[in-house]
Amino acid sequence: MNIPVDLTLSLVLLSVLFSFGSSRLPGLIKVIAFQGVVVSIVPLIIGHDMTAGGILFTLATLMIRGIVIPFCIYFAIKKVAIRREVEPIVGYHASVLAGLGLIVAAMVVSHRFNAPSISASVLLLPTAIALLVAGMFLLMARRNAIAMVLGYIMMENGIYLVGTTFSVRALHIVEFGILLDVLAGVMIMAVILQNIKQTFDDVDTALLRTLKE
Amino acid sequence: MIQSILLWVLAMLLAPFFSAVILKVKAFFGGKKGPPLLINYYTLAKLFKKGSVYSTSTTFIFKLGPMISLGAAVTVLLFLPFAGQPPVFSFRGDLLFILYLLGLGRFFTIAAAMDTASPFEGMGAAREAYFPIICEATLFMILILFYVLTGELSLAAYFSGTQPFGMWQMAGSPMLFVVIAFFIILLAENSRVPVDDPATHLELTMIHEVMVLDHSGPDLGFIELGSFCKLFFYASIVARLIIPFESGYMALDLCLFAASLLIVYMAVGVMESVMARYRMDRVPKFLLTSFALAFFATVITLEFLK
Repeated sequence: MNIPVDLTLSLVLLSVLFSFGSSRLPGLIKVIAFQGVVVSIVPLIIGHDMTAGGILFTLATLMIRGIVIPFCIYFAIKKVAIRREVEPIVGYHASVLAGLGLIVAAMVVSHRFNAPSISASVLLLPTAIALLVAGMFLLMARRNAIAMVLGYIMMENGIYLVGTTFSVRALHIVEFGILLDVLAGVMIMAVILQNIKQTFDDVDTALLRTLKE
Repeated sequence: MIQSILLWVLAMLLAPFFSAVILKVKAFFGGKKGPPLLINYYTLAKLFKKGSVYSTSTTFIFKLGPMISLGAAVTVLLFLPFAGQPPVFSFRGDLLFILYLLGLGRFFTIAAAMDTASPFEGMGAAREAYFPIICEATLFMILILFYVLTGELSLAAYFSGTQPFGMWQMAGSPMLFVVIAFFIILLAENSRVPVDDPATHLELTMIHEVMVLDHSGPDLGFIELGSFCKLFFYASIVARLIIPFESGYMALDLCLFAASLLIVYMAVGVMESVMARYRMDRVPKFLLTSFALAFFATVITLEFLK
């Protein structure tokens, strides 16, 4: 049992539950930022041999994940004066219970995989799977566009953890590429949000159905 | 055995003192001097000297309520391993007995409140009946976790001697979540601030206080003493969990236990000073957080133990 890694990963799982329960966008952004930071320090403490380049890439990921992206989103909602409610389709209590359910499911499912580096920590693969599914859940169960973007980022965190599980060597390069994509996505999203806001005076994605040429 | 009984009496005697610590901390945060640390003893003495007034619309249930709630709280303390010493009574499965004893006390408080036929008290009773349902789910989740860790089913087995430290060693980080979950339960069951405000003066927002509005004199004293004992029970469990060390010398253990109790009570006081009471519809979410934490801790621990 690797105590620092397990502690970090249980914090990640806890952040999933808190993100399901938080009703306000700034709170949700803080949770996701915290999750980003915690997820990115996992490779540092998991005990892979790190090269100087690897450490540099990890720190850069930490910066982007924990600081740049959350701040981008935060300023985006500041700028377009979006309503702070995340407008859930599934209520908060049900979401928290669903979160518990999917954590249990992830634990059960992860035993079916025979992942090579699962010995690093028993929680690594379950956390990764839980993050992927939780991100998907946020995408489906919230109508606010920003909350959807945050769900997408959570999925990205999950992919990063899966990467940590399976590969060691090529991880940082690939991950960095993905992260740049996400960053670009967040930038574009900020612009699009402004347009949605201008057209509908709201960022409720359900309104997009009424678009006509 | 004599020692256990002495400790039980000590627990009852100390409970009002520790509750006054909360008042002192709140006064400190408010920049006030606050009431003296013995205020609760003065209040109890004052109440016991008075006579009782009973409304003509009430029945014997109204008189029974305070006695049974005090009796339940005091009986529960019999099972408490004070400072890790063996309790007066202990048997396999006594945890369930304790939980339902507390439930019995609550039931009679609620029944007494309904007996007055005051709409305010009925409202408080409805809330008092609703919130502990979620608390109970959390408590049973924690119970399952402790059972998995120790294979025992009695309070003494969990909290006496070096056992709490053993649980920390086995479970590790999930115990932290258990402590937080238990602290939330403590706040909810003893009607402390984020759930209920003991200092409020508006009946509409009260839970526990509104149910005891019609009690007076010694009856009110019983209720107060009962709630001090109940708070002491929960606080000492949290205290044993946060400082699970054992020195082997009884005097030192008692000091350590008193210090950890002070930490818990001060934490309650700080919570009350920095937080506002939740809106009534937010309370279930707060309690659900504790359930989520306990459930989560159990799941992770099961994974670790595999």
